Formats: sequence, structure tokens, C-alpha cells
Amino acid sequence: METDLRGLIRTLSQGGVEFIIVGGAAAIGHGSARLTYDLDIVYRRTAANISRLVLALSPFEPYLRGAPPGLPFRWSDETISKGLNFTLITTLGAIDLLGEITGGGSFENIQPHSLTLNLYGAECLCLGIEWLIKVKRAAGRPKDFEAIAELEAIMEERKHLDS
Amino acid sequence: MLEDATELEPDPVIEAYKKDIDRTLIRENLRLTVEQRFKNLERLQEFAKEIRRAVKEQSDRGN
Repeated sequence: METDLRGLIRTLSQGGVEFIIVGGAAAIGHGSARLTYDLDIVYRRTAANISRLVLALSPFEPYLRGAPPGLPFRWSDETISKGLNFTLITTLGAIDLLGEITGGGSFENIQPHSLTLNLYGAECLCLGIEWLIKVKRAAGRPKDFEAIAELEAIMEERKHLDS
Repeated sequence: MLEDATELEPDPVIEAYKKDIDRTLIRENLRLTVEQRFKNLERLQEFAKEIRRAVKEQSDRGN
């Protein structure tokens, strides 16, 4: 199933959810030419924001991605409060909800290093390119090496354009 | 958590990968707005879906 990034971002923004776009979608925002199939966000771990997140995604039947059907997974404030990071599939596609991101920490930690974007008619936060590289480096996954190389090349090209 | 995002020490592994990056695509993307970049992604997703469907159709015909 393909992921409706526009639908997910609009749903979260219109629901008043405080979140920061990270991962491949953030890389696209910075100029990456790589295809991505899910939306990764860091969400603020306050009770009010968790409620808004649960309410916003409820119509789209969030469920644990890759898990067998029929597990007793309840999409609720309590479930999100007790957990931290969730890899989900919804009727809008795949979304990873991160309470914390390796190398970056919580929403509050990375918010100062994020940009406000006007995307699909709504304002949302996107992790800045330097920190995107930092968290990808910190994750240390071989699958990210090419993505990191591209992000660093984007920074170099930007500097070249600015000079 | 990482304290400082201003200094990125070159990583020899990443530098090796960087040699193969197509910078012409990056330069094209940097000319676009963020929203235009996301619209391009949507078109790419559509293309990926369509070409996979076509390959599967061809493969099914061959069986």
C-alpha cells in the first residue's frame, strides 16, 4: 500500500497535533531525490498532545505494522502514554510515531533545530538538515549511509549556491 | 543526545558513498519549493505503483 503523505500531514496538522517531520519525508523537504514510503514523526509527549494524536488518527484505524491481525492492540491515549515509539499502518498508509529519536531525543530537544514549513496549506515542523544528518548518523544503520551521503551533498550544494 | 549540530566531522564511509550521488538531481530539487518537492514525491509514488503493476501484469502473462 502506498502512503498518502499529504493526507497524513493534513490530518495531523488539522488535528492540532504537535509533531516534527523526520526521516525520509524530511529529507524530501530538504531536496532529496529518494523515494520514501512512510511518514516518520516525533510527537510531543504531553497528555493533551497524545489525546489530539489519538483523536486525529482514530478514523484511519491505526494498527501495528507487520503484526498479525487480531492482536489486542487498542488505539488509545493509554496505549500511547505507556509506550514510546510505534510503527503503524493506517488506511492512509504507514506512519512511525516516535516519542524519542536516536541521537536527537524528544520533541522538545529537537524543536529548536526544526523549521516551520507551510505544507499542503498547513504549518508544520520539519527537522533541519544538520540534525537530520546527526540523527541518521547516530542511528548507525547501513541502509542510511546513502541517504546521509545525499543529505551532506545537499548541504554542500546549498553552500555552493549561497556563495 | 548530540549536543552540537554545527560541526559534522567527515565520515570516510559516507564520503565514499557521496562519490556516487547524482548532484544534478539535487540541484534540480533545490530550485523547487518544499511543496513542489513533496508533489514530485507523490508523482514518484504514483509511478512506482504503476510500474510495479505493469511488471506484475507482464510477469503474470508469462506464467
